[in-house]
Amino acid sequence: MSVDSVEPVRSWLRSGVDRVASNLRFIAGDTPAAVGFAVIATFAFLGVFGPVIAPHDPIRYSVQTGQGTIARLNAPTLAAPFGTTAYGKDVFSQFLAGARPTFIVGLFGGLATGGVGFLVGLVAGYFGGTVDEVLMRLTDLTFSLPFMPMALLLLTFVQPNIWVITAIVAAFLWKMPARVIRSEVLSVSERTFVRSAKASGAGHLRTMFVHVAPNVLPIAFLYTAYGVAWSIAAQASLAFLGFGDPTTTSWGRMLRQVFASGSIRVAWWWVIPPAVGIAAVTTSVFLIGRAYEEVINPEISEQSQ
Amino acid sequence: MSQFQRFLAKRIGIAAALTLVAVTIIFFTLRLLPGSPFTQLVASGNLSEQQVAEILSLYGLNKPLHEQYLIYLQNLLTFQFGYSIRQTRPVWEILGPKLFNTLILLVPALVTTAVLSTLLGMYAGWKRGSWLETGSIVTTTFLRSTPVFITALLFIIVFSYTLDLVPAFGMREITASPTGFADTYLSVDFLHHYLLPFTVAVLYYSGDFLLLARNGVVEQKGSEFLKLHKAKGLSETEQLLRTGRNSLLPVLTYFALRLGMIFQGLILLEVVFGWPGIGRQLVMSISQQDFPVVQAAVFLMALAVIVMNLVADVLSAYFDPAVTAGGGS
Repeated sequence: MSVDSVEPVRSWLRSGVDRVASNLRFIAGDTPAAVGFAVIATFAFLGVFGPVIAPHDPIRYSVQTGQGTIARLNAPTLAAPFGTTAYGKDVFSQFLAGARPTFIVGLFGGLATGGVGFLVGLVAGYFGGTVDEVLMRLTDLTFSLPFMPMALLLLTFVQPNIWVITAIVAAFLWKMPARVIRSEVLSVSERTFVRSAKASGAGHLRTMFVHVAPNVLPIAFLYTAYGVAWSIAAQASLAFLGFGDPTTTSWGRMLRQVFASGSIRVAWWWVIPPAVGIAAVTTSVFLIGRAYEEVINPEISEQSQ
Repeated sequence: MSQFQRFLAKRIGIAAALTLVAVTIIFFTLRLLPGSPFTQLVASGNLSEQQVAEILSLYGLNKPLHEQYLIYLQNLLTFQFGYSIRQTRPVWEILGPKLFNTLILLVPALVTTAVLSTLLGMYAGWKRGSWLETGSIVTTTFLRSTPVFITALLFIIVFSYTLDLVPAFGMREITASPTGFADTYLSVDFLHHYLLPFTVAVLYYSGDFLLLARNGVVEQKGSEFLKLHKAKGLSETEQLLRTGRNSLLPVLTYFALRLGMIFQGLILLEVVFGWPGIGRQLVMSISQQDFPVVQAAVFLMALAVIVMNLVADVLSAYFDPAVTAGGGS
């Protein structure tokens, strides 16, 4: 490879690193966002490695007492640091393993939500007219089909697994970013550089993706992050109602089991880990999102003193 | 026709079309996917062919699909939801009281949170950068982003099981058999059961109103309008109230949207607290495959959203003429 072809890549990489660094500095400057970032980093780590570092199989292994019987509903001890379930399972192992389905649905649900919403908003805002009208009536429709009841309906017919749930979440939630990004695109399209790009003969695709898209990307990223939180909340809620993947341990399913078994009265140690896990992750995403919204939304940031 | 009337006509037309599409989707989702309760009923083998035919004709299921669809549309338009499969009662007799139970829990909660957290949000925006602002944002962010059933479970553990202050389940004592409206909803027992789900609902909704009001005030800080008021020598409270009044429109339209989502939004809250509302009934009817009930409940939930979206659009168009001028989409 010649130096010429390497140089742009190098500068692109350098600016990428700079951008990451400046983002990290920004997050570090906002205490709630910094805490949120640490929580999400931990969650991502658990999502990838949780099942591996779990000391026991979350379902097959039963914790034994000294007398050799199964330890049911034991408060936390050294053998089982988060206690045991009504079925004698290790809550600590379930907590670690249960991070993964939560993580997968969150990650892919968020990416799909942000991605589809971004494309719909971009195309609708850019072309306007009939295209816009059709796409916006479609978002109106998804706004009027109630998410939770429709998801429950579909999941009675289709055997739930994490991919089906991810798909349902994405199918209903892309509407949020689509609307916001459309209105951003509308205002960006009016600006001189977009008009001059069009005037100088740039094609629709090129104008849309090279000139308009970069200006709405920050909002797309923000809504992708929110999509992650919505997906996690939806997955946990569905699992809690008994419409989750029955073959894997997830945080939502743990909460369903402790609630449905009636053990919630006594076994706080079985409730707290998955409940705090879900609450911490979804809250963290929104705290980081809020910090960025202040930057993206000029009306809020310009007036800040 | 004035511009506003044209806008109104267009919006109503869209709402009607959306309702039609939504009920069509619900109908075909229920009929075309495999595993309907009727096949299960027939496959159980306990019924004679004669009985099967009778049941099918009772529910109109022996007719061709397009005829069933037309009958279904006709029935929904007149709020005739048919008969429940599991309980030999008209669907409306089952859902009506459940609907009321949901409304009596959630409408007061929504109104309370709209008033309280809007005021708090305005104050937080005014005191920009204070610990009160940061604290209220972090707290309400936690409450609105955490799935409502988790907050509910934590509250139950603390206030019911640990402190034993309020019951964790139901709307009345199990032994209570109230007759009539006053007896059902105006008793200490009811209030006792009401407190916890009401509080959780208020807290869950608080975040959005707080942030809307806070952003509205922050956006106007330093505006010419406010400088004028400052120059006129208005007190700090008076300035805040003037600023707040200008940012009430988003709060108002958001209130309408939330009201539309009320039935579906808190299905989980009703399940956790065993509150006999329409959301909990929906979950139960789905697991019992009682499709006439499911169909009607989902229809009511979708209708509420469509109607309240329409109201929100019309409100903001009425108070902010720039919306109608821009074509309203």
